[in-house]
Amino acid sequence: MSDIFCEINSSDIDLADERYKISFLENDMGSLAESLKDVGLLFPPIVRPVNNKFIVISGFNRIRAHIHIHQVHNKKILVYKTDPDTSEYQCLLKSITALAFKRQLTQAELIICTNRLYQFIDEKQISQKSSAIFNTELSARFVKDLLSVGRLPDPSLELISTGHLSFKSAKKISCFEKDTIESFLSIFSNIRASNNKQLEIIMHIMEIAARDAVKPKAVFKNPEIQAILFDKKIELVLKTALLRTCLFEQRFPTVFRVRQKTREKIASIKFGTNIKFLPPENLDSQIYSICFTAQNFDEFQKNVQTLYSAMKSKSLKEIFNP
Amino acid sequence: MKINTLFIDKTIPEDLEIEYLISKVTADPQWIENTKTVYDYINDADDPISKAKKTLYITSNKGAIIKECPGTSFYTCCDYTILHTGTFCTMDCSYCILQAYFHPPVLQYFAGLKTFSNALEKRFGQKKIFRIGTGEYTDSLIWEQVSLQPKFLIETFAKQKNCLLELKTKTNNIDSLLPLDHNGKTVIAWSLNTEDIISSEEKGTASLKARLKAAKRVESKGYRLAFHFDPLVIYPGCETQYKKVVELIFEYVSPESIVWISIGTFRFMPGLKQVIEKRFNHSTIPYGEFILGLDNKMRYFKPLRIKMYQKIISCIKEYAPDLLLYFCMEDEEVWEKCLGFFPGKKGELGHLLDKSAVTHCSLNSNLL
Repeated sequence: MSDIFCEINSSDIDLADERYKISFLENDMGSLAESLKDVGLLFPPIVRPVNNKFIVISGFNRIRAHIHIHQVHNKKILVYKTDPDTSEYQCLLKSITALAFKRQLTQAELIICTNRLYQFIDEKQISQKSSAIFNTELSARFVKDLLSVGRLPDPSLELISTGHLSFKSAKKISCFEKDTIESFLSIFSNIRASNNKQLEIIMHIMEIAARDAVKPKAVFKNPEIQAILFDKKIELVLKTALLRTCLFEQRFPTVFRVRQKTREKIASIKFGTNIKFLPPENLDSQIYSICFTAQNFDEFQKNVQTLYSAMKSKSLKEIFNP
Repeated sequence: MKINTLFIDKTIPEDLEIEYLISKVTADPQWIENTKTVYDYINDADDPISKAKKTLYITSNKGAIIKECPGTSFYTCCDYTILHTGTFCTMDCSYCILQAYFHPPVLQYFAGLKTFSNALEKRFGQKKIFRIGTGEYTDSLIWEQVSLQPKFLIETFAKQKNCLLELKTKTNNIDSLLPLDHNGKTVIAWSLNTEDIISSEEKGTASLKARLKAAKRVESKGYRLAFHFDPLVIYPGCETQYKKVVELIFEYVSPESIVWISIGTFRFMPGLKQVIEKRFNHSTIPYGEFILGLDNKMRYFKPLRIKMYQKIISCIKEYAPDLLLYFCMEDEEVWEKCLGFFPGKKGELGHLLDKSAVTHCSLNSNLL
């Protein structure tokens, strides 16, 4: 079943057929074209003959760069042509290994690959063969997770690929109902958050829904949340911060209110920028901390005077005796 | 007690205590040499916690038989003494910390009444008041139906004057205790909650009224009583519901019979949340307004705890103004705002409880 090294016309290649395309990463075509021009084609693409045409198994970018250099579609290109009897499964293996032994696959690529392999072999077999296919060992449990995440609807893969949806978050939402999954995909399409923040957002929405005995979609449909998510004037990172604050307020209304009130009281005391007055963590202990820095006696005296004036503040008394 | 698998440690002598247990537990006994057999049997299950509730392991206590309650940092502790008679429970409360405390959880009955007696004799000989309970790592009275242990303990404590025995339960298993000569040294204590919480979160426990009826029956036999509002759970309408529980207590029993009432809101090790979500997916109790407390346990946000305590305390005070109320694991601010004082010195809360124990259980007052 060895592939034949041969020359074919680039015009005979059907680039629109992307059944073996794994990578979403778009390389800089200009650099690749320059390299092809200067160094030549080091690793010929692999193609498969189908109905008098060739479909690409590996090397989409190289073929595009080749066409880009020559600006014509019928220039000859060196390729490995698979035997016509090569099975679909063998072609799939070639497409994965060609990339996996060149560089580490991204999570989105792993998801695509395992889900395609699952059409031919089960998760246990994928795990057992993983070193030979992926150039790294994948545990059966991880393969199972990749398959679950792979079953998520669009645009989940794109979100994973672009870093809008972490693998952990994707795994978490993959066990939810369809409506809930769609709500989360919509949320993560409209914000930019780290993995921990994504998990916090998921947790808060699920817990608000469970506490209030409503569907998570109802939480998502809350007008305040919708206004944050779909306001095109707010940039993604700010949206994330606003969404998190809004969800925290809904999940912990009393904590939010009391913290807010405490902050307002501290601000009203007007300690200035030099003095830091910090309430206890979670307001559970009674220990407030206060600190300032001073470079000289005058600064020290000024800070002490500010503190002395603060003692007359009603807000300060209320903070200690709520 | 629904046990379908019974393991017995081969090193345990087959005496009257064990024969009695075997006769009461319907499962066939399997005598085993290694505890690992039990651990493996439980760990093999999809839900080891549920399996552990139906698997009884009779063994001996290889650790400390009597130990001081570990309490928790930063919050005031009551200086309780634990008599370690068994572990885990057959009932299935969603919030039960024992689910996350033991790895794996094993329903153990520690045999050896003589061993307990020997350990207790050392305490009985000391010139100090001890409040000793068996309800820390298990429910004290789930064992009443299958073992001689509760009877033995009550009769052992009846013969001395410096220790009080507290049997804490959510059952109404008191029949065999009624005819016993307890000499006033045993307090039967019930953990109480609202009907809502009992039906939704305390699977397999006795109903509120069944607990209070049992309290009334033991009271009629001269037993002293205690109640523990622990865990108080905050949910919409809970204040009215807890008020009803307080009203019911005093419909059934007299305030004079009650040695103390403890109060504590729901708190948990963070790891318990996942257990609750997995095993009790209907439960909403982990979704209250919890913050991470100073002892690294999740606790209701303090203003919510204070509000809840104030309501329930004012209600209890209406019926029993002189009754000793105390908090389990709370700080100065909570004590001051809810009870108007703070037993801040080391041992102060313990001393208050000892005083009540002496008064109600005729212990030696010279030891205070």
